[in-house]
Amino acid sequence: MSGGEPIASTRSQGFWVGIYLASVGVIGALKLTDAIDGPTGFILLAIATGALMIPMRRAGACTSAAMATYNRRVLLSSFGYVLGLGIAVTLWNGYELSRPLVFAISLLPTLPTFGIIWAMARYIAEERDEYLRHRTIMASLVALGFVLAIGIFWGFLEMFELVPHVWAWWVLPVWALGLGMAQLWQKVRGA
Amino acid sequence: MKNRLKVLRAERDWSQQDLATRLAVSRQSVNAIETGRYDPSLPLAFRIADVFGLAIEEIFLREEKPTAD
Repeated sequence: MSGGEPIASTRSQGFWVGIYLASVGVIGALKLTDAIDGPTGFILLAIATGALMIPMRRAGACTSAAMATYNRRVLLSSFGYVLGLGIAVTLWNGYELSRPLVFAISLLPTLPTFGIIWAMARYIAEERDEYLRHRTIMASLVALGFVLAIGIFWGFLEMFELVPHVWAWWVLPVWALGLGMAQLWQKVRGA
Repeated sequence: MKNRLKVLRAERDWSQQDLATRLAVSRQSVNAIETGRYDPSLPLAFRIADVFGLAIEEIFLREEKPTAD
């Protein structure tokens, strides 16, 4: 149940988000310039995600216990995603794999993303504060509309060969982008 | 829906956080209800009424409908 004063660390969440994004940028630049190989890049990304997302989460003042649990679950799933993706891409690039094995490695980054979806569903079920729950549901609906609209529009642009093919797993990042924009809009409106 | 939450809080010298703690909700919830951006569910409205020791209709005000003359 919410209601207690949120606890925040001395550094702001923005500080840790900035450090994390800078780390991702540096790792990306090193990979693009061939200063590091793919597996090293994924390992560094996993380390950065694991090391920086904990202070990033702690710095954020959680508005409720359910939100704190949600953040912890998303953090764990995100770490699993980066790790799973790294292992899957490394195996895919380095070895000649049979079809069942390819199916198996494709599950490595997939299952943690199911964890993120499950965490969102659990948050809505566990949030005791009806206003926070209402806000999240409204933002989720906006995000759903966003991903459907972008997906349909992109699909037709792709069909008429105006844009390149995009892998379907992009639905989750696009949905998350829509969720973030909706929550930002709620914040700006003071909702 | 209009309400008298701000006045009732002020009479008791409670901050939004004080009221939120008494209701076991977030301060954002109290703020959203107080400013009329969110209408609470009936169970929460009853909890609010209990906290102030008043009836629901003494806190939440019926919207006046324009009369057809």
